[in-house]
Amino acid sequence: MSSVPVAQTTVESVEKPDRLGEWSGKSIPRKEDGRHLKGQALFTDDKWQHRMGYAHFVRSPHAHARIVSVDTSRAEALEGVFGTLTGDEVKDLSEPFFQIAPPPGGNLKEWCLAVGKVRYQGDAVAVVLAESREIARDAAELVEVEYEPLPAIVDGIAAADPDAPLLHDEVGSNIVWHGVYDYGDIDWALENADHVVKIDRLHFHRFSSTPLECNAAVVNWEQGTGVIEIFSNNQMPMFASLVIGPALGVPSNKIQFQSQDIGGAFGIKIGSYPQITALALLSKKLGRPAKWTEYRTDHMLSAGHGNERTFVDIQVPVMADGTILGVKVRAFDDAGAYLHYEPLGAVIWSQVVPGCYKIKHVQVDFTETVSNKCPTIPNRGYSRMQHLWLIERIVDVVATELGFDPVELRKHNYIQPEDYPYETPNACVYDSGDLPKALDLALGAVDYPAWLKRQEELGTGSGKRIGIGIGTTLDSGTNNFGQARIINPELPFSGNGEAAYAKLDLYGEVNLNLGTTPQGQGHETTAAQVVADILGMSPDDVNVTAGFDQRHNTYVAFSGTYASQFAVTGLGAAMGAAEKLRAEILKVAAYALEADEADLDLGGGQVFVRGDRERAIPFIGIANLVYSNNAVLSPELAGSVSLNCRHVYVPPFQVPDHEAKTGNLTLTYASQTHVCVLEIDEETGHVEILDYAVADDCGRVINPMIVDGQVHGATALGIGAALFETFEYDDEGQLMQSSFYDYHAITALDAPHIKTEHVQTPSPFTPNGAKGMGEGGGAPLHAVCAAIQNALDDGAPVVSESHNSWERIYRLINHEPNAPRGVEVVTR
Amino acid sequence: MLLESVEYTRPRNLDEALRALASREGAAVLAGGQSLVNVLKNRVASVDLLVDVSRLDELRRIEVGADGGLEIGACVTYDELERSDDIRGAQPMLASAAGHIEDRQIRNRGTIGGNCCLSDPSNNLPPLLIALGATMNVQGPGGGRQVPAEDFFFGYFMPALEPGEILRSISIPPLADDAGVGYQALSVGHDSKAIVRAAAHVRGGDTIEDARVVLAVVGPRPVRHSAMEDLLNGAPASAETVERASEAIGDGDGLEPISDAHGSADYRRRVARVLARRAVYEAMMRGARS
Ligand SMILES: Cc1cc2nc3c(=O)[nH]c(=O)nc-3n(C[C@H](O)[C@H](O)[C@H](O)COP(=O)(O)OP(=O)(O)OC[C@H]3O[C@@H](n4cnc5c(N)ncnc54)[C@H](O)[C@@H]3O)c2cc1C
Repeated sequence: MSSVPVAQTTVESVEKPDRLGEWSGKSIPRKEDGRHLKGQALFTDDKWQHRMGYAHFVRSPHAHARIVSVDTSRAEALEGVFGTLTGDEVKDLSEPFFQIAPPPGGNLKEWCLAVGKVRYQGDAVAVVLAESREIARDAAELVEVEYEPLPAIVDGIAAADPDAPLLHDEVGSNIVWHGVYDYGDIDWALENADHVVKIDRLHFHRFSSTPLECNAAVVNWEQGTGVIEIFSNNQMPMFASLVIGPALGVPSNKIQFQSQDIGGAFGIKIGSYPQITALALLSKKLGRPAKWTEYRTDHMLSAGHGNERTFVDIQVPVMADGTILGVKVRAFDDAGAYLHYEPLGAVIWSQVVPGCYKIKHVQVDFTETVSNKCPTIPNRGYSRMQHLWLIERIVDVVATELGFDPVELRKHNYIQPEDYPYETPNACVYDSGDLPKALDLALGAVDYPAWLKRQEELGTGSGKRIGIGIGTTLDSGTNNFGQARIINPELPFSGNGEAAYAKLDLYGEVNLNLGTTPQGQGHETTAAQVVADILGMSPDDVNVTAGFDQRHNTYVAFSGTYASQFAVTGLGAAMGAAEKLRAEILKVAAYALEADEADLDLGGGQVFVRGDRERAIPFIGIANLVYSNNAVLSPELAGSVSLNCRHVYVPPFQVPDHEAKTGNLTLTYASQTHVCVLEIDEETGHVEILDYAVADDCGRVINPMIVDGQVHGATALGIGAALFETFEYDDEGQLMQSSFYDYHAITALDAPHIKTEHVQTPSPFTPNGAKGMGEGGGAPLHAVCAAIQNALDDGAPVVSESHNSWERIYRLINHEPNAPRGVEVVTR
Repeated sequence: MLLESVEYTRPRNLDEALRALASREGAAVLAGGQSLVNVLKNRVASVDLLVDVSRLDELRRIEVGADGGLEIGACVTYDELERSDDIRGAQPMLASAAGHIEDRQIRNRGTIGGNCCLSDPSNNLPPLLIALGATMNVQGPGGGRQVPAEDFFFGYFMPALEPGEILRSISIPPLADDAGVGYQALSVGHDSKAIVRAAAHVRGGDTIEDARVVLAVVGPRPVRHSAMEDLLNGAPASAETVERASEAIGDGDGLEPISDAHGSADYRRRVARVLARRAVYEAMMRGARS
């Protein structure tokens, strides 16, 4: 072997006093649930402000067109309309959004409303503010826009063609990013492998987690103070601030984001910053708060779709014993019309280069293009899911083509429990895991041998086929923002972090606030659990501020809720703040009890002398001494404690090497292993899931019920994506699924009973042993595709699409006898 | 999305409703509103007066004759159909079909009349009503008339109603002792839009005496497949007969389905035969059991 990867990364294991245990690890009911179940939550649409107007966006019906003119006079004349804002005004009043991509992709200019051209169906050209939603909608219809249609390009690969219709003149082509990731020695592997499996094309489709609540915001550019108040459900407000501030020419201390309850986000709600920017300008122009609640069709047309990726020319060197040496592939990501958070997707996949396997040689030639479709935005499993689907498809295709058992082939290639911490070819460090055990548990939960028997018994002539599929996946969490430099070396980003602020309140209860913007993940509950353990009190006495308020909550620039990290960064911050508070409490207690700090312990909301619970002071006593009785304390003590403690958790990262494209890109690697057993009706392609199991490993579990809920959600969304949910455009760039009539979002009626199993391999790198797990890694897509393939006959084509409608399955089953299979094996 | 402003009236009886409907060109009947209101929100129809008939007693009754024949008021909801002992007794498949329309909210409001008058080729009830040999009782300014269900669904969103007419009720003849009903639908998810539907009514003992086979979502209106019916009638009631008869549908030549987000026209044509065969077989088995 010519080059053996050498260890490049070291991550310090965390030494910590382990105080978690009494409350952490228990399924205590969620603090949030009461208000949600009783309709007492505060969502953005519940927010009302004096003199507020309602906004409605005017959207392009064309995929690509020059804007000849926009006439708002009839809209403005309608009674009840406060005013309008158009692209031309926006061009005068604001700057284009900053771009993550380096030039030429970074030359792309996007304002908060379309300027000069529209580039996808749903692109916003103007916005209207009126005294009611109804009038705003009516007025929007009165805005007359004259378009000169242009040819549209909807295929992400064809978009790279120099002759393709050009979206952004200033970029010069539709290619916005290109780079080659080259690890190990793929040429050596291809030359020396016993077999090379070649797959023509695999396509990962567009879909969305379609949060129950669409985007919404109430934006008030206060004339008196110059402060822009934004009450919204944006899930990454600090990123939004970093983008909005320069666009509006406002300092960040004049931008104040707030949110409380958010009805799901899944990454999609990172993408509402253009609309928020437009609302700010509208508010300033008209001197009123502007409220916007997005309609479902607007959401589907324009709020953002998950990344669509096409893999071509896939080559997989495999040894006779089944060892998969490497992967060589060209990948095309289709970002849609503008770059929202993109082209970060072009690097984020590399958190999981070898998937769950000891694959050493990987070359990915990665191109990102723009096309006349809705911009993509991170969607649960962002960018890694696409790559993991590729790897899982490869493993199954290798098994099918070379005659390996898919279970044995996986176990043979898996990273083994003793290999952790495991360094990947690009110097990421997988923290912990036990993949073979997880697979055994999941297979056991569905009674795999029994299904194999059923499958055999069924035979031909029954009209039914049973397929069994495995999806092993990783949910890499707590990312190192330094990976952005692999996209653009000029970007001043690296590391990650989250902040928390804990204080003892007047009667000895605890108040905690966080920099996060939860959307149903139960942060109030799990944060209270860890804080309660550290301070020896009940979670009931820990009030965690609901939602985020930039005026009061503490935060860092990474703050928000995204990318599977709360259990590490958010709880890491909460634990750090609680430890600091604990230290102050002990200091005051030692003084009050005239005892040595080392002899004291906390429990039941008191500090007591170990071995003598009678010698104790309750937290109310501590609070009293510091807040309202401080003349009793020594001046040194009074001057050194505040019982108000802030902590910023900083994960141990270094700056990645952007030239080699290596470095530790994420701190934790949760895993999910899914097994799907399904039955296909040969005559219609209809699928019924007969059995489904998930073995999940997110290290130490803080609240098992919440973890199970996340597993259920990720499973349902993944199954929905695999079988029902897709965003497709016709050749003219018209979206074919712009409402729930045409986009069948999975419901409880479609979801199978999900059997859950747990493996707990604590992360040595995190403050609590937990690993972020909310995104889930898209495992159902892998498992469902594998199960469909498993149900097909040997001559059938490769399952090359991540979305398989009944019709597509019907066609795979009823394929032409000599249909091209899309796969070839070259054996030496 | 939001409605344009529109006037609304709730007449006290059918005559008043007919008069209100005649009073303006832009008047429309409002029943459960589960389709009409969405159409209005999407602003694809211009209506300026909604005549709400959903609470008219005359349209809300279910009457069962001594022979088991039914007369169902146009504004009986899906939920009422599903729960009614009369319907469950006389036409169990109708109760079950109504109980499977979309979700609970829609079943609480949507009506059998609205489901028919929308004349959406993908709706659940039209093909079944044709298979059951139903008759639509229509009331107009000049009096009443009867339209066989088969002729009622004229085309995409076009029921055989003249301007100013209201569907009053639907009559369904009794189910013979030796008859059975089958109903099959292929849809994307459990409760989503159908790709293809097939309904069948089969009467006879060892020999099939009368078969009605209806296909839907394969063209602008649900259609009876007379070629398949001809092959069934007079043939022995067996799986082989059904299989052979379904070949009359073949690959669906002659059907005129559309391609949409849920399936291509070609796919719809191909599965039509499968669903028709299954529906007929189901009808035959149910008939034999009773
Ligand atoms: C999300 C969603 C999904 C749906 N999915 C399905 C489905 O899968 N299958 C299905 O069958 N249906 C489905 N529907 C439609 C639903 O069944 C409607 O209830 C039905 O189509 C119309 O019935 P309605 O009583 O609500 O009528 P309305 O919406 O009030 O009226 C529908 C039309 O019929 C006319 N009309 C109504 N009653 C009369 C009458 N007595 N005389 C003359 N004209 C009349 C109205 O003027 C209007 O043109 C769905 C609806 C929604 C909202």
